Amino acid sequence: MPLVDRLGGDLPRAPVTVELDDIQATVLRYRPEPYYGTHVMLHVEDAQAGREFVQRLTPYVDSAADWWQAGDVWTSIAISSTGLVALGLPEDSLRSFPEAFRVGMAARADKLRDYGPNDPTNWDRPFGTGEIHIAVSIFSDTEDKWRRAMETAGQQYQGFSGVTVMLMRDFGAQPGDLNPLGYKDSIGQPAIEGCGVDSLPGQGPPIKAGEFILGYPGEAGVPLPMPLPDVLGRNGTFVGLRNYQARVGTFNRFLREHAQTEQERELLAAKLVGRWRSGAPLTLAPTQDDPALGADARRNNDFTYAADPHGRQVPLGSHMRRMNPRDTKMALLADVNLHRIIRRSTTYGAPYDPDATSEQDDEVARGTYFIFLSAKAMATMEFLQQEWINNGNFMDLGDERDPNVGLQEDGATFTIPQHPVRRRIHGIQTFNVLRGGEYFFMPSLSALRWIGELRHSSGHADERAEPS
Amino acid sequence: MTMQEGTGTAPEPDQAVEQKIQKLRELYADAPEVGKRALENVLRKDATSFVGKPRTRMESAGRVGSRQGRVSELTLIAPFVEGGAERLRAFLQLRDGNFDDTDRVGTVHDMRFVFLDNDTKLLFCTAYDDEWDPYIDDFATKIPDELDLFMCNCVGWPGTRSPSVKDWIAKYQIAADGWYVANPDLTVAETRRLNRVGHALEEFLDKISD
Repeated sequence: MPLVDRLGGDLPRAPVTVELDDIQATVLRYRPEPYYGTHVMLHVEDAQAGREFVQRLTPYVDSAADWWQAGDVWTSIAISSTGLVALGLPEDSLRSFPEAFRVGMAARADKLRDYGPNDPTNWDRPFGTGEIHIAVSIFSDTEDKWRRAMETAGQQYQGFSGVTVMLMRDFGAQPGDLNPLGYKDSIGQPAIEGCGVDSLPGQGPPIKAGEFILGYPGEAGVPLPMPLPDVLGRNGTFVGLRNYQARVGTFNRFLREHAQTEQERELLAAKLVGRWRSGAPLTLAPTQDDPALGADARRNNDFTYAADPHGRQVPLGSHMRRMNPRDTKMALLADVNLHRIIRRSTTYGAPYDPDATSEQDDEVARGTYFIFLSAKAMATMEFLQQEWINNGNFMDLGDERDPNVGLQEDGATFTIPQHPVRRRIHGIQTFNVLRGGEYFFMPSLSALRWIGELRHSSGHADERAEPS
Repeated sequence: MTMQEGTGTAPEPDQAVEQKIQKLRELYADAPEVGKRALENVLRKDATSFVGKPRTRMESAGRVGSRQGRVSELTLIAPFVEGGAERLRAFLQLRDGNFDDTDRVGTVHDMRFVFLDNDTKLLFCTAYDDEWDPYIDDFATKIPDELDLFMCNCVGWPGTRSPSVKDWIAKYQIAADGWYVANPDLTVAETRRLNRVGHALEEFLDKISD
């Protein structure tokens, strides 16, 4: 269902000042409801074949034009750093990408605090090996349209020598679109200036387009550094993908150990995230779930923390409040608008099972591709991992970490503020374990055409693209 | 508690410590008499109080600088531009010790501004929590003028909003060879929290003992 219909036709419009018809659809279209799709990870063995593949697929890649009323099925392309090399981009283009992107997510494990079980040595192949070059994703709101789009995409690479499929991951098709721990997710999205739609209820003032799309001024008033040449960088953005295996057995055991009745368990589950399973925020539904509220895109994000400074409704350490503190008075000076991300996460594998409590249940293939987009996705993810996920200092919570994606140490705690005395739960576990991750560049449509038309191998001065 | 805990280097084997002490003796052999005597006196006492095993591994803070636990040091010596020393001194005199606006940064333990070599260079030292790199963009949108007012007085300061501001700091920063922190686990925020908790506890004890 397009965004405009989810809002009951009541869409606040704003002027369009970015080039929507050159930006890929995934950047602005919200994930369909319900959603189906596939991520295909490809390896390019031959630069010429790779470019030809990009050229053949580009006409099927959708733009973000009229994104608020479009959105039933679309295809996107993103390219990793090693992929840009494999496609034979000119040396000075390659060098113009940010360091964290060029070395890849695995090499930045220290900055991302990906230690212990989350360490890249524990990742599922081919993540972190540099072998993933191109990610093609198909999003759809029906199974039928998804199958047809897959067929079209498949025709571009099947039997095409020089490009091989490394990994295919179907996603979505979950009952109620719930994530592997049983919650509705990806509700909070930033409002972006110049994209045609004004702030939706609760989004806060629109954030400058340059924070999310390359080539436009960001919050500091200037555009962020952009890959060269101009045609390659402009209207593109960066994508981070983190593959989390859900430890459903551990999660359910934790809920049972710390809550007696089903009602208490569900309240605890809501306190961890800040929302009930349905997506209803604790701010608006403090004592029990309200599925109608959770399903209503006009209301389920429409709140501030003005009346909840101490976190008695939404704990200061809950996932939702950490990832978007809104008007929370934080212990450290930070600009919330600089650390927002566009989220297009996808859930795969077995649906959430509330009765799964064994250790084997932790290893049932079931997880999330946490997918985030930003013009500085690498820096933002490092900030979030260091400061807002694996740290509690900014919310005056000492060493406490994010209960959803944080990496918990032995004896870790989670504080639930309440009157007169807060509750502090000991022994919170890591509920989502990292099993892989990659950074991608999501080029504009004109950049995809530019890549497709490159005809020379890289590394020679006479073949370099015109610098902008 | 640091993120890197568990990956720290093992304590120096005794032999390596002996070698370091031997080297120190050799170097102090050329020291003034008072220094020579002091070394022997100190070594005769309990050397374990200062040799080898710091409570928290000294590690690097960002690109330059040292860190003990959660607390990092930044030491910077940068030349003043023409008239820079005069402007900065006037600004500091106006403040007269009032740095309330720095409180809201929430990570700064202390700062000192020292004028060196006939007002030609600034020595700036600060102790702060964790790393400043992740927050530089926040400073650029939240307090750019506050920082620029200070730092514009040094040669080549590109402005807080400039992407090259990190490079400028790294250029003039000097890592400390020694760095001591009494409470390496206590961030500014944590210290404030413990202060509040302490007051609340005393109040509670007052009430129940009445």
